[in-house]
Amino acid sequence: MDVWSYIWAGMLAVFAGPEALAVFDIGISITLVMVIFGFLLGIVVGAIPGLGGPTAMAIALPILISVFGFAPDALLPVMGCLIGIMKGATIGGAVPAILFNTPGTPDSYMTTLDGYPMAQRGQAKKALRIAHFSSASGDTFSDVVLIVCAPFLALLVEAHLDLPEKTALLILSLSFVAAAVGGSVGKGLIATGLGLLAASVGTGEDFYPRLSLGAAALNRGFPIATSVLGVLIVGGVFHQMTQIAADRMRQSVPTPIPQETNGRLTWADRRALMPVIARSAVIGTVIGALPGIGSTLAASIGYTTAKARYAMRKGIPEFGQGAPQGVAATEAANSSVSGANMIPVLSLGIPGNTAAVFLILAAESIGGFAPGPSVFRFTTDSVNPELVIAFGLFTCMFVANLLNWTIGGIFMRSLGFLVRVPKQRLLPVVLVVTLTAVYVQDPRMEVIWFTLGFGVLGFGMRLVSMSPLPFVIAFILGGRLEDSARQAFAATGGDPWFLLTHPLAAAFVALSVLIVFIGVRSGRA
Amino acid sequence: MVFGLLCVAVWIPLDTDSGLVEQVRRRVSVGDALAPMLAACLVLLGGILTAVFLPDTTDTHHAVPGAVSFGAKMLGVLVIGFLIALYAGPIAVAVYNIAQAEPLEYRLVSASLPWKYIGFGLGGTFAIAGCIAIAEGRLHWRAILIGLVAVLGMVVVFDLPFDDLLLPPNGDY
Repeated sequence: MDVWSYIWAGMLAVFAGPEALAVFDIGISITLVMVIFGFLLGIVVGAIPGLGGPTAMAIALPILISVFGFAPDALLPVMGCLIGIMKGATIGGAVPAILFNTPGTPDSYMTTLDGYPMAQRGQAKKALRIAHFSSASGDTFSDVVLIVCAPFLALLVEAHLDLPEKTALLILSLSFVAAAVGGSVGKGLIATGLGLLAASVGTGEDFYPRLSLGAAALNRGFPIATSVLGVLIVGGVFHQMTQIAADRMRQSVPTPIPQETNGRLTWADRRALMPVIARSAVIGTVIGALPGIGSTLAASIGYTTAKARYAMRKGIPEFGQGAPQGVAATEAANSSVSGANMIPVLSLGIPGNTAAVFLILAAESIGGFAPGPSVFRFTTDSVNPELVIAFGLFTCMFVANLLNWTIGGIFMRSLGFLVRVPKQRLLPVVLVVTLTAVYVQDPRMEVIWFTLGFGVLGFGMRLVSMSPLPFVIAFILGGRLEDSARQAFAATGGDPWFLLTHPLAAAFVALSVLIVFIGVRSGRA
Repeated sequence: MVFGLLCVAVWIPLDTDSGLVEQVRRRVSVGDALAPMLAACLVLLGGILTAVFLPDTTDTHHAVPGAVSFGAKMLGVLVIGFLIALYAGPIAVAVYNIAQAEPLEYRLVSASLPWKYIGFGLGGTFAIAGCIAIAEGRLHWRAILIGLVAVLGMVVVFDLPFDDLLLPPNGDY
């Protein structure tokens, strides 16, 4: 098969896959239905403060796997739905941010700075349209970059990196995540070390499952869902509930502000916003392509850059006082992360952010698709099914993108009422649903206790301003890192210095040390 | 830092079969202790960097007063809720058996109504209502109603459409 045949096969897998329903005798595939469903669900959860994409993905994953099973056919519907949720949640988060000064998702915090003042001036509809237009533009740009870059990066890695270099690349990724994410390098290293340690429990090559304390429950190690959902979702809910209780925030019903009836966004408005959207889209895409740095930082940098650029301009409101450019800069930046963060996932198998973690979790749970450089082997004599899936995923992203441009705006503008959902009543439900979802996947009570234990760990991390993301990424990559190191050690004839005797591997290791050193020097340890 | 030291000095050496590297005849291979040892060293290094060199003085902005006790209460409610889920079904069967000539065994009836939902219904409702009550500072009938409706929703989503999925605690019996 040539390249075009693979692309075509990927598109066919999405559009001509198993049929879910027919409209006017035209069959609509189940994957397409799941992308649409995921996208709309994503907008809804994004519009509810306190939920967000990762929570919805966490709850949806076991249900999706139950529905579609573990066959390779399940990959596209399940991952398509998750991609839809990921993309929908980003635009949904702007709704409460603009209408009620309450960010629906953390990455839409900067949207409140100018979106809410616009709403107070009666321009909420216009602000929502700007948010949607910027978000869809950034998303499209990011997807294009993903499709162009991911295969080339993967081919480069596969062609030039051997086992020692791949081991060093994983070390570099973990160092980068540890140094760049969260409060400080020191805390990042602690979180990474704990993640690797947790991944070691009950595994290994000896007959005795290491670090199991002789307990039968630990013999099989910690299931990946318990650590990911525990640290990210349970820990996050605990932390949010703590804040709610401290504020005794009874979710007073916000009073709607009278709005202008005409909130249209003219072509002149769009043209005026394009430079700021383009700049933020590039910022978001670059940041999204780096492992561990999420959309919140992209939004902050996009906003700050635009603010610096427009500080001296006359004729537009000041940033923070209802500048349309402020809304556009934030939304374009945070939305352009979603496509780019798939670059390290698909080309290297390294999750870039929380949403990507769930995509890897889905791939690992279902099987038949191992994200990494081997996915992009363009075999000509036989079909590489993983490559067809990869192009199917690209197609799903563009379908979600198309939905974003067409129905996304109308749907998001109708969801302002969701801000009234009281968080303190919703989050306990999310908590028990998450624990039930973990049990349903692995029906033994130990997984509940493990998840709660990891939840306590995630809660504690948040209390000391330690990001839980390095822990989760280290947990996911821990097994691969060890396997890769064992193989590299064996392949080099037991050379203990294999990371330093191969030039590229040595360069990666040196870069890892340098990143940590720079982090310490910059006073963030 | 203390945890890292404990791992390096006590837990890993005592709880792994092989060392850092293993030599069997002439073949040298990586032992099971190496990966966790390096992980523990990272924890230790991170601890040293955080505690000794440049302690972060701004790290309390995420903490709220009483957070630990609040978290402990939430955890307590959830643990009790899932313990209720684990034992309520067998206890209900035991109570039912008092008046029965032929006693039932929970393991055998855990897939049938009403037994299969007793534990999850009671435990799940308790956990949700309890967490809401902790956050609101009072127990309102609405919290119990939300718990019941949520449990019903989970039964509809996870249990009714699938024969192969088990709600807590039925996989343990």
